[in-house]
Amino acid sequence: MVKQFLPILFPSWRFFSGIGPSPRVELGFVVGRDESPDYWVAFRPLPQRLTTVQHIVRLFHNPHWNELLFINTCAERLFEAMDEFYMDEIAHRLLAAIQRGEMSIPDKQRYLIFRIRAIYSEAAPVNVMGNIRDEIFVQSRPYQLEPQGVDE
Amino acid sequence: MTLEFAVRIAEILLGIALLQQSLEFLRGIGFEKRIAIFRVLLSVLLIAGVYPVWVESLLLVTSILLIRRFLGPYNGGSDTMSILLLLCLWGSHVAPSRLWQEVALGYGALQLTLSYFQAGWVKLINKEWRSGKALAEVFSFSAYPVSESLRALRKRNQLLFVASWCVIIGELLFPLALLNITALMVALLFTACFHLANAILFGLNRFFWSWLAAYPIIIWFQERLPDLL
Repeated sequence: MVKQFLPILFPSWRFFSGIGPSPRVELGFVVGRDESPDYWVAFRPLPQRLTTVQHIVRLFHNPHWNELLFINTCAERLFEAMDEFYMDEIAHRLLAAIQRGEMSIPDKQRYLIFRIRAIYSEAAPVNVMGNIRDEIFVQSRPYQLEPQGVDE
Repeated sequence: MTLEFAVRIAEILLGIALLQQSLEFLRGIGFEKRIAIFRVLLSVLLIAGVYPVWVESLLLVTSILLIRRFLGPYNGGSDTMSILLLLCLWGSHVAPSRLWQEVALGYGALQLTLSYFQAGWVKLINKEWRSGKALAEVFSFSAYPVSESLRALRKRNQLLFVASWCVIIGELLFPLALLNITALMVALLFTACFHLANAILFGLNRFFWSWLAAYPIIIWFQERLPDLL
């Protein structure tokens, strides 16, 4: 508890000190626990553009985006060290989004599997952008799907 | 600005920031959703100025519960700033003397100043920030831009170079603004625009409200500073 509270009492304000690997969460569905998804879907992909009205609304209320930032934070902590807490935390949020009907479950699929990709740029001279690398970092275990449309 | 007036305005702004956060949590799941209902009520009471010590105490307790739930702040720096400010305001109410009231609020002002200066310093010593490459990488592949169309900014090298140096210089010079009230007002206008830009470009809306809530404290602190020196 002290370990979690001290950084708030004596914070470090090192925002964007360096640009590390960036996570992307994708999900897939399977019928059996031992199967692999046929295809992967990006979780909350970015819109092409936002209108001025959308920007104004999001200044006051943007729960889905802030939840995505939290999921990305969980993924970044997994980049540092594997931890079941963060894997389960991401899974619970994906399952809740599916349950709310944010995305549909293909017929007969019973389990959710997610994976985290790490996007980063290769080392390059300071004025040159390195090649962008895209690697699969981790794939989750299967999580049982609940019926859709039942809010928690 | 008197200490009492600064505290009241900061409480209203912090109440708005916490209300905004709590209304977002109402769309969440499990524990955060259940506790958000209680925090919405507490935020409204904080804005209204009803029993501030008790309301702030309960907000602190629920903040600690949320930190335990997420093994740290849910939304990084914005949660850190809002909890820190809450703690300073609560401290100003329970402090045994005027001196300790000022210490509590002064700590909030110090952390606000550090939040800009330290963020500027870590960018200044990073050659990728000095060249504009860091911002290009943010727009190119980070998860922060709120729309695909914003990724095109990665090719605007000159714009990103100028923007990087505006941020670095603005953040580093912030402490100097404490020397003069006009300079401080200009600096706060600059930083408010900076937070607004971060909210629009990167969806960091919670930072905008949390940092804004600390501004009355630093305005009070600037007026108090000549007496302290």
